[in-house]
Amino acid sequence: MGSRRRNLFILLFVVGLVIASLLVILSKETRLGLDLRGGTELVYEARPTPQNDQIDSEDVGRAIEIIRDRTDALGVSEPEIARVGEQGITVQLPDVQNAERAIAQVGTTAQLFLYDWAPNVIPNPDVPESTPADEAGYNRQIDAVRAASKQKPECFEDDCTTTGPRYYLFDSDSLEPLAGPEQKKTDLFLEFPGEEQPPNSEIIEVPQGTIVVSEPQVQDDPETETDEAATGPQEYFVLSDRPALSGFDITNPEQNYEQQGAQVPNVTFDFTDEGRPKFEEVTRAIAERGRAEAPPGVVSAEQASQYSDHFAIVLDNEVVTRPIINFVENPAGIDGRGGAQISGSFDLEEAQDLAEFLKIGALPIELQLISQSTVSATLGEEALDQGLKAGLAGLLIVLAFLIAYYRVLGVIAGLGLLVYSLFFYALIELIPITLTLPGIAGLILTIGVAADSNIVIFERIKEEARAGRSMASAIAEGYRKGIGTIIDANVITLITAFILFVLATSGVKGFAFTLGVGTIASLFTAVVFTQAVLGVFGRARWLRSPKLLGASTEQRVRWHFDFTGASRYFFSMSGVILAVGAIAFATEGLNLGIDFESGTRIKASLEEPATVDDVRAALGDAGVPNADTAEIQDVEDPDLGENVVQIQGELTPTEAAEIRPALVDSFGIAEGGDAFQETTIGPTFGEQVARSAVLAVVFSLLLIAGYMAIRFEAKYAVPVMIAVIHDLLITAGVYSIIGAEVSSGTVAAFLTILGYSLYDTVIVFDRVRENVPRLPRAAFSQIVNRSMSEVLTRSLITGLSTVFLIGVLLVFGGETLQSFALAMLVGVASGTYSSIFIASPVLTAWKEREPGYRARRRVIEEAMGRVPAFPEENVVAKLDEEAEREEGGEPGRSGTGFTDDSPRRPGPPEVIGAGDGRDGGNGAEADAEPRPAEPTPPTGAGEEASQEELVGAGQSEEERAKAARRAQRRARHQKRRRKHGRHR
Amino acid sequence: MAALVWFTVGVALWHFTVFVPDRFWGGIVGAFLGAVVGAMITGFIYYSASGDTLGNTDIVTLLAAIPGTLLGLAAVYAIGARNEARAA
Repeated sequence: MGSRRRNLFILLFVVGLVIASLLVILSKETRLGLDLRGGTELVYEARPTPQNDQIDSEDVGRAIEIIRDRTDALGVSEPEIARVGEQGITVQLPDVQNAERAIAQVGTTAQLFLYDWAPNVIPNPDVPESTPADEAGYNRQIDAVRAASKQKPECFEDDCTTTGPRYYLFDSDSLEPLAGPEQKKTDLFLEFPGEEQPPNSEIIEVPQGTIVVSEPQVQDDPETETDEAATGPQEYFVLSDRPALSGFDITNPEQNYEQQGAQVPNVTFDFTDEGRPKFEEVTRAIAERGRAEAPPGVVSAEQASQYSDHFAIVLDNEVVTRPIINFVENPAGIDGRGGAQISGSFDLEEAQDLAEFLKIGALPIELQLISQSTVSATLGEEALDQGLKAGLAGLLIVLAFLIAYYRVLGVIAGLGLLVYSLFFYALIELIPITLTLPGIAGLILTIGVAADSNIVIFERIKEEARAGRSMASAIAEGYRKGIGTIIDANVITLITAFILFVLATSGVKGFAFTLGVGTIASLFTAVVFTQAVLGVFGRARWLRSPKLLGASTEQRVRWHFDFTGASRYFFSMSGVILAVGAIAFATEGLNLGIDFESGTRIKASLEEPATVDDVRAALGDAGVPNADTAEIQDVEDPDLGENVVQIQGELTPTEAAEIRPALVDSFGIAEGGDAFQETTIGPTFGEQVARSAVLAVVFSLLLIAGYMAIRFEAKYAVPVMIAVIHDLLITAGVYSIIGAEVSSGTVAAFLTILGYSLYDTVIVFDRVRENVPRLPRAAFSQIVNRSMSEVLTRSLITGLSTVFLIGVLLVFGGETLQSFALAMLVGVASGTYSSIFIASPVLTAWKEREPGYRARRRVIEEAMGRVPAFPEENVVAKLDEEAEREEGGEPGRSGTGFTDDSPRRPGPPEVIGAGDGRDGGNGAEADAEPRPAEPTPPTGAGEEASQEELVGAGQSEEERAKAARRAQRRARHQKRRRKHGRHR
Repeated sequence: MAALVWFTVGVALWHFTVFVPDRFWGGIVGAFLGAVVGAMITGFIYYSASGDTLGNTDIVTLLAAIPGTLLGLAAVYAIGARNEARAA
């Protein structure tokens, strides 16, 4: 297939993809994350249950399935449930604003057991004798637990609900429960700072075979006119752990209503074939015991109810109901064929939830809530609006910049960016990728990556055009030479995205996935599509004009700066900046956000104005724990509304859940509670975020170092790492100096900086790698200087494009995006700078220690007494220039003023000492495959050759003049060859 | 946080090694390692001696890393210079 036909085929394919993308975009809805849509996110950590003391992957998978079933059954649309690490589960519930109910729906273990009550109750010896033994409970949990701890470990018929002892933690002073029951002592401390036992606390062990259950006390409410019962404080019972049936013995649970009286909701269920006889047996035993204990003459059911015994249904260690088995009505027990019912003090919602839980089954593991956050729908919409504005504005600015700088090429690149945006958006909907705020940031950054791919190629094209090639061949060569660089750089970005996706927490995962998909899509559009467009129109008149392509062939003075020579000044500057950063770290530290510090932060817009003291008093009155130590302040937050208060403190998710009702009761929350933001992060989750970030950085660096070592050379990898460390430390230092909050979004930004810095350094090093074989006699510093002068324009343009994009994020982005953008702005500036002024000089210093480059340097120094900044300035080049002057002509571009626009410029390429080993770039032969440069090893033969050819110190004037004439003859000869070639 | 301070001090001071003749063992990269490792070692010695927690930092935490950085650089330089002398 000819190249034109192939290009046409690619264009047709792209047009087809564009149409398909439009169809996808129009037909599918974008899946928005919680931060853009509003909703509740819960993060759980799996813990063993009494029945399952070892958690494996299968357990977590089964728990995820059960949670999905529960959320589906409860009508939550598009829930996202995912595993985090080995034992973490994130549950994202879009549009759900009531976090408390969500927690109850999702995290309830729903372990159900039925006990024959009386024989299993271990009575409280301290209650009056008048109290029946099976009603002798404890008012405080600690008393019940202490009594239980005195029992001997035993497990009747191996039928216990626990696999070992269980541990409780109590406050030694207040005797209030702090944690438990847990299988391991260490699990008691997970919610405490440092996961250590808090001071003044007491651990109590309850042996296997005994359990402590709670039961809400039912009280008559004297203030209500009705006879409805109200739930009072908990009462605690110690039971021998001998359940008669478990949740596995029941089937078909349904929410129903009591048959008698008002519409009181209950849960009815049937028994399995195995459960039915068990139920009949236990109820018969209860009935017979009741009859035996009743005085003679009890014949009516009403009388019998006073003496009948109970069985108890216990759900997650709480007695939900304790019905009697009336021995008059059911003398032989209850036939399980008719099923049974659970009648507790449920409201309709609770009864429905319980029925669903029983239907779906119990969780095989216990779920410990370690993080909880709720975003209101209004804030989500605003964030989406800001994110889309930022994306659109970023795209337009980059388009305008590319068109202004590259003219027609810029228009084609712009077309590529538009096609890219369409493809990317379609992919987001097709996969589907849940679009989050960090995801939008990733999307905007990929616009920068896509633009850079074009910039790298266009700069190459301009170099080729200035070297005298025809535009058609310049375009072909530009793409051919640029593609390797782009692939290397994009692989680096993909590695970063991959590591982020695997290791990071959920918010950052969205960003990483977007970045990865975007990078692949941008490779396609920026390389394949734009090349096909240029290939098809390559012979058009407008594409033949270098001016229209922004690639004027006029001589322009390019960067002529001794980058490596000046590195000491840049090193000093970086050293000073880092020292300031170190002082800031030491004195100010980093303002770590709640993601890392753990605790709860609530922002609420109150209906009625309230002072800080009013809010504290209201929380205290409502019994919110730690209300006295919570940090409460009035804050200005127009997004939330008026009378905004912020409450922050070390509150567990359970404790934090009590704040909203307290605020609603005392002051009301504006707009029906929409203006309420809540984030709770447990210490475990904060540590996970920090640990995953550190792991992501370390693994990214290792993988990228490996890639660099394979694609380049091991020595190229180390300066890259040093430059990345430099950029990350400078960015973190700026955060410390200005006191900006470091959130998990900032971590994503830091990791993006890592990717960007690597990307930029790879582009620069790629040119160094390319120039090494072309300059076989030049000192490494000269090679680096020349490479820098060639790529600095690209680095500046890319840096500028990215800064435009980040600037847009800073202006239009919401609070989250702005925090992200600040880190990115500093990081991109530092990344661009460090690629040239840190990584390259470090590489130079390291490579120049190699014997080969040391020898080259020595030879040049011997010849000239110094090593010039650029290879063109080596001694014979100067002689060549002088000779040209003597002849009355203008000095060639190889003179001391380095005005060479291109490495392929047909100047005197064989200037001795400059050692340009390229073929001279014959414009007429541009379409043909140029002769590959012959790499010369830096040691050995090449070195000897340098010394032989280099004319320098120790030679007579006559010898030097001869050498200069030889050089001139060679230059003239080559000039004739090129001229001849062009005519041909 | 203290480890971050020590590391940054090491990296910051390493930047000024460009003013010293490059006789470091392993060159500029060897100097980098020497500076960072030295900074971390004296930092940890200070941390162990003071009984401070790693989260609490002040200007003394920073100063604790400076001798280590200089010693680390000096050690790497001495090894490099000795190797050069041997090779000569």
